[in-house]
Amino acid sequence: MAFSCKNSSKFNGFSSCIKMVMVGTSTIMMQQRTLAMEASLCVKKSKKKGADSVTRPNSQISAAMAAVTPLLLLLLLSSAPSFSSGSRNAYNINGRVKIPQGLGTKGYALPGRMSNVKVLLNGGQNITFLRPDGYFSFHNIPAGTHLIEVSAIGYFFSPVRVDVSARNPGKVQAALTENRKGLSELVLEPLREEQYYEIREPFSIMSLLKSPMGLMVGFMLAVAFLMPKLVENMDPEEMRRAQEEMRSQGVPSLSSLLPGGARN
Amino acid sequence: MAIRSFFLFILFFSSSLSPVFSLYEDQVGLMDWHQQYIGKVKQAVFSSQRAGRKRVVVSTEENVIASLDLRHGEIFWRHLLGADDVIDGIDIGLGKYVITLSSGGSILRSWNLPDGQMVWESSLQGPKHSKSFLLVPTNLKFDKDNLLVVFSNGRLHAISCIDGEVLWKKDFEAESFEVQQVILPPGSDLIHVVGFAALSQFEMYQINAKNGELLKHESASFSSGFSGQVSLVSTETVVALDSTGSILLTISFQDGKISSQQTPISNLVEDSLGPAVIIPSSVSGIFAIKTDAVTIFIRVIGKGNLEVVEKTTHEIAVSDALSISEDQQAFALIQHASSEIHLTVKLAHDWDGNLLKESVKMDRQRGLVHKVFINNYIRTDRSYGFRVLIVMEDHSLLLLQQGEIVWSREDGLASIIDVTTSELPVERDGVSVAKVEHNLFEWLKGHMLKLKGTLMLASPEDMAAIQSMRLKSSEKSKMTRDHNGFRKLLIVLTRAGKLFALHTGDGRIVWSYLLRSLHKSEACQSPIGLNLYQWQVPHHHAMDENPSVLVVSRCGPSSDTSGVLSFVDTYTGKELSSLSLDHAVVQVIPLPYTDSTEQRLHLLIDADKHAHLYPKTSGALSIFKREFSNIYWYSVEDQNGIIKGHALKCKCTGEVADEFCFDTRDLWSVVFPSESEKTIATVTRKLNEVVHTQAKVVADQDVMYKYISRNLLFVATVAPKGSGEIGSVTPEESWLVAYLIDTVTGRILHRVTHHGSQGPVHAVFSENWVVYHYFNLRAHRYEMSVIEIYDQSRADNKDVWKLVLGKHNLTSPISLFSRPEVITKSQSYFFTHSLKAIAVTSTAKGITSKQLLLGTIGDQVLALDKRFLDPRRTVNPTQLEKEEGIIPLTESLPIIPQSYVTHALRVEGLRGIITVPAKLESTTLVFAHGVDLFFTQLAPSRTYDSLTEDFSYALLLITIVALVAAIFVTWRLSERKELQEKWSFYSAFASQSTFSSLHFSDN
Repeated sequence: MAFSCKNSSKFNGFSSCIKMVMVGTSTIMMQQRTLAMEASLCVKKSKKKGADSVTRPNSQISAAMAAVTPLLLLLLLSSAPSFSSGSRNAYNINGRVKIPQGLGTKGYALPGRMSNVKVLLNGGQNITFLRPDGYFSFHNIPAGTHLIEVSAIGYFFSPVRVDVSARNPGKVQAALTENRKGLSELVLEPLREEQYYEIREPFSIMSLLKSPMGLMVGFMLAVAFLMPKLVENMDPEEMRRAQEEMRSQGVPSLSSLLPGGARN
Repeated sequence: MAIRSFFLFILFFSSSLSPVFSLYEDQVGLMDWHQQYIGKVKQAVFSSQRAGRKRVVVSTEENVIASLDLRHGEIFWRHLLGADDVIDGIDIGLGKYVITLSSGGSILRSWNLPDGQMVWESSLQGPKHSKSFLLVPTNLKFDKDNLLVVFSNGRLHAISCIDGEVLWKKDFEAESFEVQQVILPPGSDLIHVVGFAALSQFEMYQINAKNGELLKHESASFSSGFSGQVSLVSTETVVALDSTGSILLTISFQDGKISSQQTPISNLVEDSLGPAVIIPSSVSGIFAIKTDAVTIFIRVIGKGNLEVVEKTTHEIAVSDALSISEDQQAFALIQHASSEIHLTVKLAHDWDGNLLKESVKMDRQRGLVHKVFINNYIRTDRSYGFRVLIVMEDHSLLLLQQGEIVWSREDGLASIIDVTTSELPVERDGVSVAKVEHNLFEWLKGHMLKLKGTLMLASPEDMAAIQSMRLKSSEKSKMTRDHNGFRKLLIVLTRAGKLFALHTGDGRIVWSYLLRSLHKSEACQSPIGLNLYQWQVPHHHAMDENPSVLVVSRCGPSSDTSGVLSFVDTYTGKELSSLSLDHAVVQVIPLPYTDSTEQRLHLLIDADKHAHLYPKTSGALSIFKREFSNIYWYSVEDQNGIIKGHALKCKCTGEVADEFCFDTRDLWSVVFPSESEKTIATVTRKLNEVVHTQAKVVADQDVMYKYISRNLLFVATVAPKGSGEIGSVTPEESWLVAYLIDTVTGRILHRVTHHGSQGPVHAVFSENWVVYHYFNLRAHRYEMSVIEIYDQSRADNKDVWKLVLGKHNLTSPISLFSRPEVITKSQSYFFTHSLKAIAVTSTAKGITSKQLLLGTIGDQVLALDKRFLDPRRTVNPTQLEKEEGIIPLTESLPIIPQSYVTHALRVEGLRGIITVPAKLESTTLVFAHGVDLFFTQLAPSRTYDSLTEDFSYALLLITIVALVAAIFVTWRLSERKELQEKWSFYSAFASQSTFSSLHFSDN
């Protein structure tokens, strides 16, 4: 599923396109012919508006547009055979990191406060941070296949493969590399929460009994109370015989083992 | 059957995969410590907020922006930008946004001052590279919005402070125009952009700040040209130096008219001083020039009349101007005097009157003052007070107020170059440093509290007491050697040329020493520290000597400048001696030999390929001569793609002949074809690694012999096209080749090509295996591969009888010149994250199993069992293999959150991981450094040779007491019972003796 990495998709229809062109003309002198062509391109775009899906809050449209417009202009112009520019192979990647509510209760990153989240392109070549609403953007990225990673304490994010196409300007394809799932829009969500600490088991009799000391006490109790029971259940004849044997061998009883037992 | 085996498998899996390193939350800080730094401060802006906590926002050379508490110097928040994202300027806008300009002026960001959340980010492009300026005028309003003025990449931008929108922009496209200053005269809507064009042209543009309209453009030509920077002395006057550095040009452009005046420096000062440079300052009416020895302050009076106000030979630092009222500006000046610094605060228009004059005692180990930032506050009596923030030569940051150092931060530790360790002194009479052990009662009380904690009977106060007791254990921070070898000194060398000794117990600085040999001097213009080596580790017959380290540095960035050696005692932190070498230091080879005083022999290779032996003693020389023919080393020439092997030839001939200098010869060379391969990584085994056993018993009672050689080198090369960033190359035109090369003979033992892969490669070599991490372009994921190398020539030594009869070749000497029969096994796995560093745990005897320590891109350190990287893993291991501990093969390596060594912390800007064995075999010490420091102890196979920290002695005591009590009780019972039995027996015997005898006879 492809989607636009430009903000053009959200602009409402023709009027915004015109506005963009006007801004463009003020910066780059341009021929009438290419102007007209671009306008028609914009119309096409606005018609299939629903298909493209990068969203942005309204308050930032204008800001981003101002930054992006000259670029966009260059991108669109690159289809015109007469135009060539050294800087045209620079694109922007815009996306969003979304940490679902309900997660983040462990106190590493409270929902809404994401100032410690970093977004890294190509193993740290570019690093950017999140705006309060979770949006991020990389500027001046050459066409090609890139890797976006999100570093957030407490969450596991899959790296994302992002294809910025030179032939089809402004189109970006994205897929999670961990599970090869395609993304319809560049919204990155954590795959899971990360729990860095072992949970301390609450106190229980079992854990106490399982400890070496518990086992020692348990064994002793077993010997003290279960052995006589076992002895009781033995055949009286055999017991007598065993006693005889013991007496003949002179195996000392417990009491005679202890110093006090010596007086017997 | 299937169910049974599945169950078995699950059982095994659950037992074997449970993370070995795991921590309870209350154990944080028990064995680990974490320190946060920011690096050398470049720029500081004080927040002028009246309410709330006082802050200062700083940008540093480590690309950190941070908000610090002005009271204590703690970090409120901090962000580390990318390595290429160098900060050009910071400022505070609207009192609540921190504005940063970075990446050569192409990224402008705004951060929320209270919590450090990024508010907006703008990308600024321009026609060409230029200086960048960030100006935040307070009075320039535009529809209720404050404007930011940014000049970058040859374009002037006006940007909204609220959302980062570019309101207007203006290009300065003239080819040769170089901007020098952007000036905003207060109270007007004009922007002045001044600069030079074509070396001798002075240009001035006047621009309307409301809409970017060019109002005026003036230029004037100066035949003598310009050099260096300009200094702004008023909003309409700048001072520049001509190309010879001897004539001052005062250029004013009042009302758009350029007028100038030339003043030779020799007119101002009598003696000629040589070429001067202007020190940039923003104090109005005053500027400073600096020659080799002298700093001169010059006042500008009226239109271009210059007057020298002060001439000093002391090292001096000046702050920027601070407006304290409508028309008054103050600035701070710091001068050095032996062990003190003198701080003076002056008004800009009144040089002789001092607002403030203070002297502060300064530790000599901090060096000179490099930067001063001034801030004022209003005292209770409504007069002005001043505080200054100073940055020292060792990169530390100090706040001075009322003649005292309020706080200091050792931010030099954010840029560690090299790390080594040193033992602490042995505990002897008179050596003990830490306080005496507390008495038995307290010990018991502590353990009773712990027991309460275990039994969940403790109140919250008790819990807090337990926690603080555990953290403040005096045992771990003692200054003497301990039985387990946990207490050591970490000796670190920082980029500022300072040595620090950190205690592994709590991370405190035991001593620090600013290396004198790394001071700038006549002979040594820009000294840089290179490496640290253990010079003397006394343990046998030199017990009375203190251990020392060798610091190797050189006088300039290029490798052919001469070297400097310093020897530093690690107990006292004093420099024992230093040597200025007359040769360069290209390579340092610590040799595995020590002389009679336990000084390790080092071989230094210079640029002319001579080898120099240190220490220069006759004892060392005789040892060296004995091993003369056994010394081999290699060198890597990255540019040419050549790896060469070297050996010693003979004594030096020619002019540098001395006893300790040797000629070398090339033995072999491996040349990689430059059109298809480019070396990107070379790794060898750690010199001090210990291997416990050479044989490895595999499941079917078979034995495999590890090929263990200190002279193995791992080399990774990539296609030249693929040596760039990810995304710059397609899988078809990229490959990665891994080699195992014997560095004595130059023989390539193994070579493997990974098609469609590229760097960066991070690799670690240990025992007989190497693990490397690279990027697989086809799968677009990171991969890790393992290569294990086994010795085949010994494989037939399996017959017990042969071993008994001595017909084996295990004791035959091994020579690398005989062709080794080796087999390699390898396997690859996917790994999720990018890596920044990789290391392997090392233990005292090498018995404990190994863990890989992976420094991930998120600045965390993950411990991964080596068992996951075992080439013998298969999808369905047999029963025998399972018993041996082979894990079923999976596509990717697991990431278990509990095995993050750094748990919920980040080692911001991670650069390196160092592992040091403790004396206790199970334990290894791990030190990770970057902008932050992190230290912990790891037990890769759990602490099988010692009790865990949470072992309850009280429970043991209670159990013993209970057992003894039970023994006495049962003894009593038993005695009574026996007595009763005897009584009953006798009484029964007396009454029924006849009957019973009859009864028996019946049977």
